[in-house]
Amino acid sequence: METIAAFLEGPFWYFSAAVFVVGVVGRLALALSLGSSKSLSVPRGSASAGAVRAVFSRFVPRRDFYRRIRLEVIAGYAFHVGLFVLLFFAAPHVEFYKEYILGFGWPTMPRWAFIVVSEIAFAGLIVLWLRRLLHPVSRKLSDAGDHIGSILIFFVMLTGCLALGEDHESLRLIHLFLAQLLLIYFPFSSLMHTFTFVFSRGYIGAGFAHHGVKA
Amino acid sequence: MKTGTTVNRHATRQSTTWLLPVVWLLLTICGTAVAEEQGGGAVPNPGIELWRAVREGPPPGVSRSQVEGIGMTTLIAEGGERWRQLRSNYVAPWGGWALVGMLGVLTLFHLVRKSPERFDGSSGKVIVRFPDYDRILHWFMAGTFLFLAISGLILLLGRYVILPLVGPQAFGAIASASKEGHNLFGPVFIVSLTLFVLRFAQRNFFARGDLAWLAKGGGMLSGKHVSAGFFNAGEKILFWSITFGGLAISISGLILVFPLFGQSRELMQLMLLVHGIAALVLIAFTFGHMYLGSIGLPGSFNAMNTGKVDADWAHAHHDRWHREAEEKGLIEKAPS
Amino acid sequence: MPVDMNVAQAFMEQVQEMGKMEVPSKLSDQERVETAKQVIRDGINAQLAIDLEACVHCGLCAEACHFYLASKDPKHTPIRKLDLMKRMYRRERSPARWLYRLFVKDVTIDDLNEWEELVYDSCTVCMRCSLICPMGINIGGGVAVMRAAMRTADLMPVEMRLVGQEQAEKGTIFGVGSEQFVQTLEELRKTGLKIPLDEPEADILVLSAVTDIVLFKDTLVSTIKIMNHIGAKWTFSSQGYESANFGYMTGDQEWQCAASKRVYDAAVACGAKTVIVAECGHSYPTLRWAGAELMGKPLPFEVLAPSEFLGREIQAGRLKVKPIGKQAKFTFHDPCKIGRIGGVVDAPRVVLDALGVDLTETEPHGVENLCCGGGGGNFLITRALPLRLKVFELKMKQFDDTGAEEVVTSCDSCMMNIMAGTMAHQWPKPTHSLMDLVGHHLA
Repeated sequence: METIAAFLEGPFWYFSAAVFVVGVVGRLALALSLGSSKSLSVPRGSASAGAVRAVFSRFVPRRDFYRRIRLEVIAGYAFHVGLFVLLFFAAPHVEFYKEYILGFGWPTMPRWAFIVVSEIAFAGLIVLWLRRLLHPVSRKLSDAGDHIGSILIFFVMLTGCLALGEDHESLRLIHLFLAQLLLIYFPFSSLMHTFTFVFSRGYIGAGFAHHGVKA
Repeated sequence: MKTGTTVNRHATRQSTTWLLPVVWLLLTICGTAVAEEQGGGAVPNPGIELWRAVREGPPPGVSRSQVEGIGMTTLIAEGGERWRQLRSNYVAPWGGWALVGMLGVLTLFHLVRKSPERFDGSSGKVIVRFPDYDRILHWFMAGTFLFLAISGLILLLGRYVILPLVGPQAFGAIASASKEGHNLFGPVFIVSLTLFVLRFAQRNFFARGDLAWLAKGGGMLSGKHVSAGFFNAGEKILFWSITFGGLAISISGLILVFPLFGQSRELMQLMLLVHGIAALVLIAFTFGHMYLGSIGLPGSFNAMNTGKVDADWAHAHHDRWHREAEEKGLIEKAPS
Repeated sequence: MPVDMNVAQAFMEQVQEMGKMEVPSKLSDQERVETAKQVIRDGINAQLAIDLEACVHCGLCAEACHFYLASKDPKHTPIRKLDLMKRMYRRERSPARWLYRLFVKDVTIDDLNEWEELVYDSCTVCMRCSLICPMGINIGGGVAVMRAAMRTADLMPVEMRLVGQEQAEKGTIFGVGSEQFVQTLEELRKTGLKIPLDEPEADILVLSAVTDIVLFKDTLVSTIKIMNHIGAKWTFSSQGYESANFGYMTGDQEWQCAASKRVYDAAVACGAKTVIVAECGHSYPTLRWAGAELMGKPLPFEVLAPSEFLGREIQAGRLKVKPIGKQAKFTFHDPCKIGRIGGVVDAPRVVLDALGVDLTETEPHGVENLCCGGGGGNFLITRALPLRLKVFELKMKQFDDTGAEEVVTSCDSCMMNIMAGTMAHQWPKPTHSLMDLVGHHLA
């Protein structure tokens, strides 16, 4: 156990963190470096304002669309907000960031809040993944990479919650190991949307705004 | 390191255990002293009065404890031992064997029955049985139920089945993980159950024809199809078992997982039994459901997979629903 | 005012005849695959690369697509139309291509054949999917690249190919060229209309379109009347009169450039400050948004859509109309190329308001409006008619839900598609061109 812990908290942690950082930055940089042609037509609105606008306005679906995708929106928010809160406000996580990355911490949420939030996140994730499996459209679109991503996230969250008792080192190490696998998998998968969504929304918002359309 | 707390906890336990023999010794000495003072060896065990008093506990409102809380003035929780025996000697083994028995019955049934009719889609027509939302809800509940069933069975039977296999160290981790996971997923199951019941209840009210279906045992033994609507009586019974069994599991689970509202130890002991027995019954039912939804009745799994069933399957198993769908023009060409 | 159905029928039959022709390609399958791959590879810019990285395959775009909503077939999911592009990106341009090549299959001729139907028959490049996408993926932009790739591989519906080739090589569409245009104007002059043609100097160059010459002659007449009514110094050009640009629709940049260049030269020749395109949906974004890029510099004139022009003139008080009155209930169909892509949404409402009609909007409308299913050249593809008619059922329901008795739109493709739907479904509601409606109600 001691050697496994030393390995996971030492070399393997540095390796996975490096793959994550280099992978994400590299993949973004290479995609962006492909460049786009500058628009020469007389704009009807400000493209940059449209870009900023779209990054935020896309958090809320349009009314006509919302009626059709209510389940996806609710489950999507439950999972994403839940995951975000767990990632940044769960006490053991903040402790980890403080010790291994940042050197400082911030206020964390109480244990009951952790449990409630993780339940919301789990409900969202499970429904989203089932939708991916069962809806004929997403079923056809999804590839192995998407399912691996969903399953990996699920097990990272699950092992985190199974370790809630904080009385078995082995449970904590399993969680840590899966989280590190996720970090390594991240830049090779559509989990990249965590970062690319800002750019893709910006691009479309700029394009529409140039034409005078709020998107 | 988290191991520190474990070590400390063991240390505390060890540091208090030496007190027990001391207390026992003191009580014995006191008892003997009192007996000798009363003079005469005719009284067999003079401590019996004391122990009886201790077991019965003080009358309400008489005693106080510095530690405030439910049952803090009770020295020996007499009901606990009875409950423990009930759980370990009856619920766990009988429940475990009942599940094994259920699997055995199903296996036997599968082996001796004549092979069921296969629906290989030769009709070329399908009917939508469960739209996307229905299937998502079903698997949402099924998934959480399965997780809770496995973690719950580990908590009930793990010490008899898993502990001897993996040893105390590993089993400690497994049990801890099961407990945390079980408590965490409970409320998720309640959400899924609520949504499920709301969605499906209307289609599960008993109607004419259900009694006839039951009387013929759903044709399971005769092998002949019995007339049925969208859901047959067996499915309806399963639905209401899940509804009320799930309700019992949910309420008892909530009482157990949130000991914050002044619930007494006795109530919690009772709830644990309700929780365990209801869950065992539902798990056993689920075995049957899983069998019938897959290899037991070929073609059934499509209903919860793609949501579309073969029109012939629908005609054989749910003829009245099939007729309705036909009248409404809901029978589609099978996707190539 | 309504179109002569016999003429319309004859026109549609002419298109259908085209669909039966076989035009063999000189390219081998191998060459097709190579050239298509090359175009896709070169077409992936930063935005598309980011988009392909951002897609999580949620499939919500399907819920915005009129083709999916009509067919419920998952193959019509918008983002799936970029599947080959995604594979190309992963295998050849992505930073992790060394890894992806192990898993991602290369593009084959079978793939291309399958995708021809997806990027032409079942996509009008209406961009509605880009409004629902939580990541804001530019699916329409990707389809345009796919169309360009298919075009170079000689893999596109034969009607679009023939018309595109005809426009590029002969300068005519359906056999209608400069000669026929001038002839039509001569005939109209005989009715007493004053029609300036090839004026050496003009403030406004007005374009026409093959559809107005052949089918919607009333719209052409109305355009002339309106231009004369406002007293503008305007002209037609016998060389640069055609709004339609099949290069834009098929994805052939050379064709597109040639067609735009004719209009550009005509406008520069007469020193026009404004060019008004015909009510021919795609012609507006072609010139207004893509024109400058094609010419390599900002255009020396402004480009207006008909509805945009009408709205502006009404607001300026130069165009005066007689109110139609509230006796008839109208609804307006926003053409995707002019509303969502063109950005012209308010102007047609200004016009209808001035006409005093009882307008009930469809739900949704404006920028979110559901495409009619005929845009992007789709109305030409005969084999896609059954799907198009299914899409039209959605539109019909939308129109019926408003309770309106008459439909107004401002796009010839929409007009033709709605006409085809009207005929097939025996739908009784007349459809008007906005330009024509105004032309018939000048004060």
